[in-house]
Amino acid sequence: MATTLRTKTKKAKAPAASGPAKWVGQPIRRKEEDRLVRGKGIFVDDQKLTGMLHIRFVRSSYGHAKIVKVDVSKAAALPGVVCTLTGAEVKGMVKPFIEIGPDVGQKIADYPMAVDKVTFQGDPVAAVVAETRMIAEDAAELVEVEYEPLPPILSAEEALKDETLVHPEMGTNRNWHGVFEYGNVEKAFKQAAHVVHIGRLHFHRFSSTPLENNAMIAVWDSRSERIEYWSNNSFPSFAAQFLSPALGVGIDQILMKSFDIGGGFGIKITNYPYMAVCALASRKTGGLPVKWAETRTEHMQASAHGNERTFFGTRVALDKNGVITAIDSRHVDDCGAYPRYEPLGCVIWAQVLPAAYRVKNVRIDMNQVVTNKCPVGPNRGYSRMQQLWFMERVLDICGHTLGISIDEMRLRNYIRKDEMPYTTPNGCVYDSGDYAGMLALGKKLIGWDDWKKKQAAARKDGRWIGIGIGSTLDSGTNNFGQARIINNFAPFSGQSKAAIAKLDIYGEVVVSMGSVPQGQGHETTAAQVVADVLGISPDLVRVKPGFDTEQNAYTGHTGTYASQFAVAGLSAIHGAAVKLRKEMARLAAWALKAKEKDLEFGIGAQGPEVRDKRTKKSINYWGLANLVNVNNAGMPENLWDVTLNCRHVYHAPFQIPDTKRKYGNLTLTYAAQIHIAVVEVDRETFQPKILAYACVDDCGRTINPRIVEGQVHGCTAHGIGAALMENCAYDSDGNMLASTFSDYTPITAVNMPDLLYGHMESPSPFSYNGAKGMGEGGAAPVHTVCAGLQDALYSSGVIIDDSHNTGDSIFHALQRASSGGFAIMVRVEHPRASR
Amino acid sequence: MYAYPFSYHRAKSLAEASKLLQQLGDESRVLAGGQSLIPLMKMRLARPSALIDINFVPGLADIQSPNGELRFGALARHADIEVSEAAAAIPILNDCAAGIADVQVRNQGTIGGSLAEADPSGDWGATLLTLETSVQCTGPQGERSIALEEFIKDAYTTVLAHDELVREIIVKRPPKSSGGAYLAFKRSAPVYATVSAAVQLTLDGKDICKDVRIVLGCVGLTAIRAKQAEAELHGKKVDGKTIQRAAEAAREAAEPQSDMRGSADYKRALVAALVKRAIGTAVRRARGERVEAGHEYVGR
Ligand SMILES: Cc1cc2nc3c(=O)[nH]c(=O)nc-3n(C[C@H](O)[C@H](O)[C@H](O)COP(=O)(O)OP(=O)(O)OC[C@H]3O[C@@H](n4cnc5c(N)ncnc54)[C@H](O)[C@@H]3O)c2cc1C
Repeated sequence: MATTLRTKTKKAKAPAASGPAKWVGQPIRRKEEDRLVRGKGIFVDDQKLTGMLHIRFVRSSYGHAKIVKVDVSKAAALPGVVCTLTGAEVKGMVKPFIEIGPDVGQKIADYPMAVDKVTFQGDPVAAVVAETRMIAEDAAELVEVEYEPLPPILSAEEALKDETLVHPEMGTNRNWHGVFEYGNVEKAFKQAAHVVHIGRLHFHRFSSTPLENNAMIAVWDSRSERIEYWSNNSFPSFAAQFLSPALGVGIDQILMKSFDIGGGFGIKITNYPYMAVCALASRKTGGLPVKWAETRTEHMQASAHGNERTFFGTRVALDKNGVITAIDSRHVDDCGAYPRYEPLGCVIWAQVLPAAYRVKNVRIDMNQVVTNKCPVGPNRGYSRMQQLWFMERVLDICGHTLGISIDEMRLRNYIRKDEMPYTTPNGCVYDSGDYAGMLALGKKLIGWDDWKKKQAAARKDGRWIGIGIGSTLDSGTNNFGQARIINNFAPFSGQSKAAIAKLDIYGEVVVSMGSVPQGQGHETTAAQVVADVLGISPDLVRVKPGFDTEQNAYTGHTGTYASQFAVAGLSAIHGAAVKLRKEMARLAAWALKAKEKDLEFGIGAQGPEVRDKRTKKSINYWGLANLVNVNNAGMPENLWDVTLNCRHVYHAPFQIPDTKRKYGNLTLTYAAQIHIAVVEVDRETFQPKILAYACVDDCGRTINPRIVEGQVHGCTAHGIGAALMENCAYDSDGNMLASTFSDYTPITAVNMPDLLYGHMESPSPFSYNGAKGMGEGGAAPVHTVCAGLQDALYSSGVIIDDSHNTGDSIFHALQRASSGGFAIMVRVEHPRASR
Repeated sequence: MYAYPFSYHRAKSLAEASKLLQQLGDESRVLAGGQSLIPLMKMRLARPSALIDINFVPGLADIQSPNGELRFGALARHADIEVSEAAAAIPILNDCAAGIADVQVRNQGTIGGSLAEADPSGDWGATLLTLETSVQCTGPQGERSIALEEFIKDAYTTVLAHDELVREIIVKRPPKSSGGAYLAFKRSAPVYATVSAAVQLTLDGKDICKDVRIVLGCVGLTAIRAKQAEAELHGKKVDGKTIQRAAEAAREAAEPQSDMRGSADYKRALVAALVKRAIGTAVRRARGERVEAGHEYVGR
């Protein structure tokens, strides 16, 4: 049961050349809902093509091993098996995938299957293609692989020693290093009233568990020389850029298609190695369609995990009021066996370098290592959540050690509303926001003062109750120019989205945008925007979801990632709809013998129409479309450019960052989430329980409050699951310990607290509609739950040093605390406490 | 996620099922709710050559309560027991049935299948060991009745012969002034418990414990009867002190292993906590209070 509180919002001003905002801002039901809840969605695995074959991978049981021998003969001999593939064979058919990282990173040979050695458990070493899935599964068991085990590298610390190398050709396990330094860090430490030293902090590996695993069908058509994909990849234009050079086919020969996708959260961006294998398998069979539908165990072991990050030797300088003046720290990100989308994460965190705080002097020594774990992918909250979690730990640890309450600590350090737009030390521009106001709303929702009293009383009874705040930024609409900070030669920058709005030949309003929604409701919000531009209703707008190289609009940035649809996607759609409206107005003016300024758009007796305010004469959409497509003799030459098929490309206003200083605007909008949790640790079971939970979000102007609230609920569940349950753990041999749901235990309804929901609107000055992207949510609950645990257990000497906390880990933390663990974790100096 | 090929047979009676098991040999298996067997087959961890489906045997899901007994047909689903009025008279049975996995699993899974599977983390084994429970079995030699203590031999192992089936589970109704509770810690709904504790006791009018059984689940190859913990209560007044001593004794009795559910140390701590709480609930119930109890889950 959710309780909702909203602050008053001013009416959005209608943008030029469009009707008043009637639909935008309304909590209308999602257009796609009906199809999806009735089981009428169209997913990859629902597709059955003539002659379609099925592929099954044979995967490494070792985390790190030399491949001595692969024998597929028995599998190939099984009736119904069409062909097999081995890593060695694949090596002869493709080039290694391009690497985004510079220098040593360029030396990694990432083939779609393991060639000489396996580098993580689940690494594919062979594949069989058969007439049915069952035969493929039987055949895969007949493939004999001989391994020679190597010692696995499973932590940042081990990786940095470079004693065993994951990729010997790199000569090191560290695939990226860079120092992000701003202001005058040493001076700030010299002038500090307090310096807090914090020991090792660790952000754990977790993932997303989309209901639909990876799935794809590939057809390598030898006649057309094209590869056609139907997949659930969530960034198809990016995948094509990786596939084209690897497969040696022109990028225009790769056709991508998607339709309904059962969740993605970024994890499906890096499924392109499997897309490559499926294409090769199709080619080997002479061009038959080859389908791969991943199993859950494959997904848990070998699709993609979120980034793991370890924070070493953190020093924090504060003035006498507890205002943080400088931070100095060393961060080591673990990207697993292959970088793939990485090392982009080594800069993406810098979108939120100071988090919600005013700290000006920052030095972060950023590193990334490869290990013998599953490669990472851009998991919801990607790379920023690690930094935000780190900053929230710093705030809490400093607050508790200096005796400043955690809400006060935040109020003293938050960037203020009147400082917006705020330029961060590294040149990012926070567009708008009122973090203190959000905190106040959150406190009101949860009943802060009341809980404080209850907490004090409960403490007397020996109960461990903590109240935690998590301040989270969801930076959206990224500037790909930040890739230049990673690699000066990266051939992409900026951000763009395309959309087509058209009046089809019978007058239907059709919109396509090539985005790949996985539950975000794009069909609905797109229809709301177009309905307002044309003065009609959303149900009259047909929105074509999914990516389609031949049919839908797209640019090289098209995909669904980085919280940007509400800004970049809808700006493109709005632009296309405005162009369409202009064309319709020109055409109608001629048809009605009217002046354009006298025309109004709306719905009349014969459906949607354009009418002359003076004469009351009108022409409906069918009539307008007819004039262009069917019945056009006599149309004057000056209207021949009217196609009623309008494409618009939105470009975000970005510059290429200064790569030397690592300075520039890396994202366009900053939605915020302030969450508050009351957490109790049971004194006997050590289990954390959430007694109350409030989430306040601010994503600028909302297009559809119902969708926003749904995203907040989903993100909250995802984050609570990550904080308390979900962990992609490995044992010391490199076995992935959470390869089934029984072990990974994704969060379920019984684990969820009731949510109190509050909403504020700080319109973005940088988007036409004042909206901000908000789909990722920045893992707000991870920070919040950890903060609550910290508050509950600080007086028992526990420092929450990991993002994953269970009854078990708390039990052990308390044991460590009683044997002096605190002193190792936190040390405080007061060089100039009097100042 | 496809099982190896197998043949499928539908039995009309337990005698026929037994005969089929004989004919089809060692690799044939009985199919009840399929909630343990089918996942194992799909993950290819089990490879039966034939399945003998007993779901169409008439009367096998009945729940009856003749004089002083409760009789559960082997096919009684967890969900049937959860809503059964007869079973509600023994609250520990409801605690167990209502807390198994999620609705889907409870709608399919059976009490007979659970005992036959003898999963060390199964909820029924630990619960029913606190009561006088016997397992009625049907085989080629006819019927036999086996006390539950003898029925489960080891992890995933019972005394059933290959061609022998569970027909019925008979639970003796506890005497007056008895109460019990089954309490587990589960990380989320559809997973097995990390640790569970079952307590059934009988009080006299002055809170003196006349009889008690304490059984621990998930912390050994089979459910463990914590006899020392029972001794701490037996013949004594049940109060904070004796409960604490019983909980500590239970901690010692556990033989947990470290795994993804938790470390061995931590599981021992959980044993103590859960036993303590289960005794508390059992006592209140023995005094005639109605106490709603639910398992502990992460987060709440
Ligand atoms: C996601 C999930 C979560 C679960 N969580 C829990 C949990 O928390 N606690 C818990 O206790 N259980 C749990 N279970 C298991 C569930 O309770 C099963 O129902 C139970 O273990 C087996 O009962 P079944 O009727 O499904 O048996 P089946 O799977 O059909 O059979 C299990 C075994 O018993 C044999 N068998 C079945 N019936 C008979 C009979 N009458 N005579 C002789 N042999 C027989 C079969 O041949 C087979 O070897 C879970 C299952 C799933 C899928």
